[in-house]
Amino acid sequence: MEDIEKIRRIKRETLSSEYYFKSLLEQAYVLGMLSETQLEKIQFDCLSLLAKQTERYNSGGSSSIRVEGAQSLLTSIMFTIGVWLKTYPNPDEAVAAIQKESMYALYQAGRERIDGLIKSTKVLHSSIIGNLLETENVFYRSTIVDGIKGFFKLYYPEFAAQEIHITADYPVHHMMERLVGIEFIQKYLECIYYENLFCAQFSAENVHHLLCGYDEHYEELLINIYEPLLSAAIGCLLSGKDVHRLEMAPSSIQILNDLFRGKRRTEIEEILREAVSQLSGQMELTEPLKRYLRGSLPQIAAVIENAVLLQTLDRVFILPKYPKNNRKLAFSFGEKMDDEKYRKILEEIRQCRYLTDQKALIKSEVHSLADLEDILLDAELREEEILSIFRELNPAEIAALVKKHPMPSALDQYELRESQIVLGECLQKFLAALPAKERDLIKQAAAMLDSIEI
Amino acid sequence: MGSELSLFSGALVEKQAVNEVMKCNDLTVKFGLVLTEVQALALVATRSFALKENGRIEFGGGVIDKIIKEFCNSPYLSRHNYEDTMHELLEIFYYYKNETLDLMGDDDLIKYMKNAFNGTCQGSLELLSGRELYKLARNLRYGYALDYSDDVIQLDNDEEDEYGRY
Repeated sequence: MEDIEKIRRIKRETLSSEYYFKSLLEQAYVLGMLSETQLEKIQFDCLSLLAKQTERYNSGGSSSIRVEGAQSLLTSIMFTIGVWLKTYPNPDEAVAAIQKESMYALYQAGRERIDGLIKSTKVLHSSIIGNLLETENVFYRSTIVDGIKGFFKLYYPEFAAQEIHITADYPVHHMMERLVGIEFIQKYLECIYYENLFCAQFSAENVHHLLCGYDEHYEELLINIYEPLLSAAIGCLLSGKDVHRLEMAPSSIQILNDLFRGKRRTEIEEILREAVSQLSGQMELTEPLKRYLRGSLPQIAAVIENAVLLQTLDRVFILPKYPKNNRKLAFSFGEKMDDEKYRKILEEIRQCRYLTDQKALIKSEVHSLADLEDILLDAELREEEILSIFRELNPAEIAALVKKHPMPSALDQYELRESQIVLGECLQKFLAALPAKERDLIKQAAAMLDSIEI
Repeated sequence: MGSELSLFSGALVEKQAVNEVMKCNDLTVKFGLVLTEVQALALVATRSFALKENGRIEFGGGVIDKIIKEFCNSPYLSRHNYEDTMHELLEIFYYYKNETLDLMGDDDLIKYMKNAFNGTCQGSLELLSGRELYKLARNLRYGYALDYSDDVIQLDNDEEDEYGRY
């Protein structure tokens, strides 16, 4: 008999997290918990509050306000009241409070609660900043440090408690419920806190190598760091590898493939759940962190289920990559000739009527790739002339030019000279015309070229 | 939300505003300016229209009584043009509340309007709206001094252009 719960009339799931107060009023009215008269009184009270806030907003100097401004103030008032009403154990009690208390009292309580939330969120933020992951991902730091600091600088709960101000670019793994204002930032930082706790179990070097396996240029990607780490840790555990090193082998993928093949999502989730329990034996995982990890499993299970079907499990359980071990090639562009001599040759090339004469002149007078590059940029050659000169070069020279003049993006084009854009485009056309094998070799060589000595 | 905000344009608020306008008659009667209840109601309707036109809402009695009290001693007001001028001034006021980006309080804006109306505009509402308040709004938006005017610079440029042509 002790387990019997009182029947709740309003279900929490039917209410919006973002517009809690408004949705609570709607539900209470629909279910007959609030009469029309009561609803009108609540509306009138809210508008009285709005009038008061408008006066404060205008510093008493103006009796009117733009509709958008009033709308924003009213949203802020309703959000603030909603923040307080969420503290009641269930929506029914919140409705009872609405009936009993004045809107002003609820608003004041909400303001105090928001002030408390700001303080506790600031403490949480400081603790996160003190234990940031060592990662080269630019979005991680820019969001968690600079972005959140920006939020606290701009957040003004008196008149715009519902504003977030920042975009919070770095994604967290858990699906965030639709929240606004300080509630969103608090929830976001909570997720970051738990993700950091988990990621901090691994050395920065191992994390770096794993993320390089995801993409060598992961530092510029808007990715969540925690997800590949958790998947890799579970993968290591299930394939009998060292969890702390996050170092799975191609054979591990095969083992995991065999393990998950033909399993339903719930079965996969069960396996993952078991793995997380085992992880806690090998790592220092607090109970709240374990709860967070378990909360991530449904999403990972869904990804695994799809990956097994599509034979892409290696994109879920990432194998580490060690870019430092990649072969490097060094290529010298050679020394440039004397400026006076260069000007003379350039003028001669420009005045040549035939392409054969131009090529002959280049062959006889230009002896370094650095000079050739300058000629290609300065001689105002046509596309077919440039392509013809490329045909005289060996693959290594083409690779060096490709490395130095990659296909410019639409954004880069604004910063480049027209001749540089033309040269980049000609190189791409030249590559496209080559047989696939030769083209790949040149691209690989270009990728390996680390430093070009000029 | 819209329905909540529209509560303020209800009959109760209108009645309150009309009463406030009627009370102003006690002050304006010595200048020979009196509004009937119908005229007061029309002014309140103009206020609602101007607010709606300019995307604003107002709480309380509004600024009608403030405008009346400020302008009633103007030498350019008589019982013949009193009501019409008040309608125009109300519309101009709310338009320039937006144009000045709410950077000026109600009292300051009304005072500026009165000084311009009685001064350089010599009772012309067209000059008040199209020249003086236009300049004020531009100066506020660009952060210039309130009385800044680039007419002189404009003239200089015109002269230069003229000479340049010959």
